[in-house]
Amino acid sequence: MRNGNYNQTLNAGAQKTQSRRNLMSWLLTAPALIWLILFFLVPYFIVVIYSFLTPDIYDVQFEFSLEAYRQALNLQYLSTFFQSFRLAALTTLLCILLGFPVAYYIARAKDKVKNTLLVFIIIPFWTNLIIRIFSWRIFLSYNGVLNDLLMRSGLINQPLEIMRTDLAVLLVMVYVYLPYMILPLYSVLEKLDFTLLHAAMDLGANEIKAFFRITLPLAAEGIFAGSLLVFIPALGAYLIPQLVGNQRSLYLGQVITYKIKNIPRNWPMASALSLTLLVFVAILLVALFALYKRSKKLRRV
Amino acid sequence: MEEIRIENLTKDFDGFLAVDDVSLSINSGELFSFLGPSGCGKTTLLRMIAGFEIPAKGKILIGNTDITDLPPYKRQVNTIFQNYSLFPHMTVFDNVAFGLRIRKTPKLQIIERVKEMLSLVKMEDQANKYPDQISGGQKQRIAIVRALINQPKVLLLDEPLAALDLKLRQHMLIELMNIHDAVGITFIYVTHDQGEAMSISDRVAVMNHGKIVQSGPPDDIYERPASIFSAYFIGETNLITGEVIGIEENYVQLKCPDGAGNSLELDSTFNFPPYLGQELTLSLRPEKIAISRSKPRYQDDINVLKGTIEDILYLGSHTQYIVRVGALKFRVFSQHKRVYFDDKALDWDEPVWLFWHDTDSWLINQIPENVLSFNELADGGVNHYQRSSKRPYQA
Repeated sequence: MRNGNYNQTLNAGAQKTQSRRNLMSWLLTAPALIWLILFFLVPYFIVVIYSFLTPDIYDVQFEFSLEAYRQALNLQYLSTFFQSFRLAALTTLLCILLGFPVAYYIARAKDKVKNTLLVFIIIPFWTNLIIRIFSWRIFLSYNGVLNDLLMRSGLINQPLEIMRTDLAVLLVMVYVYLPYMILPLYSVLEKLDFTLLHAAMDLGANEIKAFFRITLPLAAEGIFAGSLLVFIPALGAYLIPQLVGNQRSLYLGQVITYKIKNIPRNWPMASALSLTLLVFVAILLVALFALYKRSKKLRRV
Repeated sequence: MEEIRIENLTKDFDGFLAVDDVSLSINSGELFSFLGPSGCGKTTLLRMIAGFEIPAKGKILIGNTDITDLPPYKRQVNTIFQNYSLFPHMTVFDNVAFGLRIRKTPKLQIIERVKEMLSLVKMEDQANKYPDQISGGQKQRIAIVRALINQPKVLLLDEPLAALDLKLRQHMLIELMNIHDAVGITFIYVTHDQGEAMSISDRVAVMNHGKIVQSGPPDDIYERPASIFSAYFIGETNLITGEVIGIEENYVQLKCPDGAGNSLELDSTFNFPPYLGQELTLSLRPEKIAISRSKPRYQDDINVLKGTIEDILYLGSHTQYIVRVGALKFRVFSQHKRVYFDDKALDWDEPVWLFWHDTDSWLINQIPENVLSFNELADGGVNHYQRSSKRPYQA
């Protein structure tokens, strides 16, 4: 009996500490939770509601309508979606191709050099994005630095029309998003055991085979993470196409902005386009994640 | 029969000579070890044979082909790396099949060969596991067959057992020997562990400061060390310097100052021509010395010294005595066999007799240059020259 009592008091005590701990963790997470609900979930909810309403000149009429979604899925907007997807995909691909050698080099460099190089990767973040885009405008423009250099070196006779083309958009996109690719790649390559490459070469693989059979599969996680970090923001890019692109080929971010900026405003349309993009991305992510999980699962037979 | 020939091989890292003008040849089917302390250049030498380091000077030949400038993947040489370097993203099967797949071997043949290899190390049922799902000893086995499946002419092993614990190490050592017997190719084994090198090798090359100090069969190196370094690095030894005062056909008489004003007259065997008055070092293994309270009855061909026990270390299989003779200290190993032993165990500060046969000591044509480098080698050992002893514990 005494023993039972003792156990009971022990349990009661444990429960008390447990509930106190629960309360503490709730209190600690509360600020972030409230912040997210107020400034993330509520606005998103408003967007969802607006997408089902009828547009008015400045605002919306509270009248249910599916018109916005019907329009969002017609050919004109689908081609905009395609345009944005293509840009994001190309940006991601170029970032992988350019970022991999850089990340590899940094990962293999000596500690001192490594840190210096990493600082160089991070330095662009210290300057405002708009300033950096404007400096690209100066660099790429008709009478700009690039054309001047090419003319002087005698490679071309006529200045190139790069500014305000899709090429310019792609160039600046890659420039802006490259660090987001390099950093996750660096983090996986840094952990890579380079004696594995020696082992592969020892077993008869030349440098190229060793790369494709050892380095690349082991860096897959970094490529995946980097691609997410580049692809998703690149899909909704607004600033870069707006500042260095042209108005003939609009990207999704621009179209959404114009729906709200230009009068008559079309809030439902802008909301519907945003949500359609969200759904596309979500489907893509779920598919990619399933693929990734399956490859992991295959490893654990 | 010669498989590998190394000629004047030299390698430096920013002026530091890692391998210094090494020449040797290794026979076909031999199990050859490079033994030396860390930084002696043994791993660099191995990496040059594998093709991961480019020699500054010299040549490496396999058979009659010069492979000095070939990249690793064009050499008929495979390596077992210290941490095995199994590919973590591939199954055991894929790891073993790697070399064959690179060479575009037909699929059926790959399956057959991999199975054959896995059965060699009794790992057939682990084929679908990943390296992080198998034990250290199993990884070791997979690393070995992953290399052997390519049918190399030479297998290089870079401290292959360093990552395993003691019991497993002993077990794998025997398994390595069995594999060597089964496949019959040349093994080159690099280790800092004298026990490993002595027990499995046909021949051992002792290395220090980038040079081969001595090479030969293990017993030759142990019993007849050619230099102070090999005497001291392999096993344990007592080293005494002295002057030649008599030369007979089979032995040399040496006058050794005991540091306390007296001289010991010791006889020893040799294999080089000494001359009267020459300063030499005598190497005497601790297990060759008998220790007793009473003076030995027969003294023909026996060296006899009287000393005092200064330290006793019980080590299980044997006891180590440190016996002071004048200012010299002798290390003596005595096994616990009642038949040969005094009835009562020896005690601290007890006067004892040390004796050994003339042919059990060995003369080295060298005198220690500096006591310091000597102490570095003798980790915790006794120095016979100046170091004063500290008792580890009081009886």
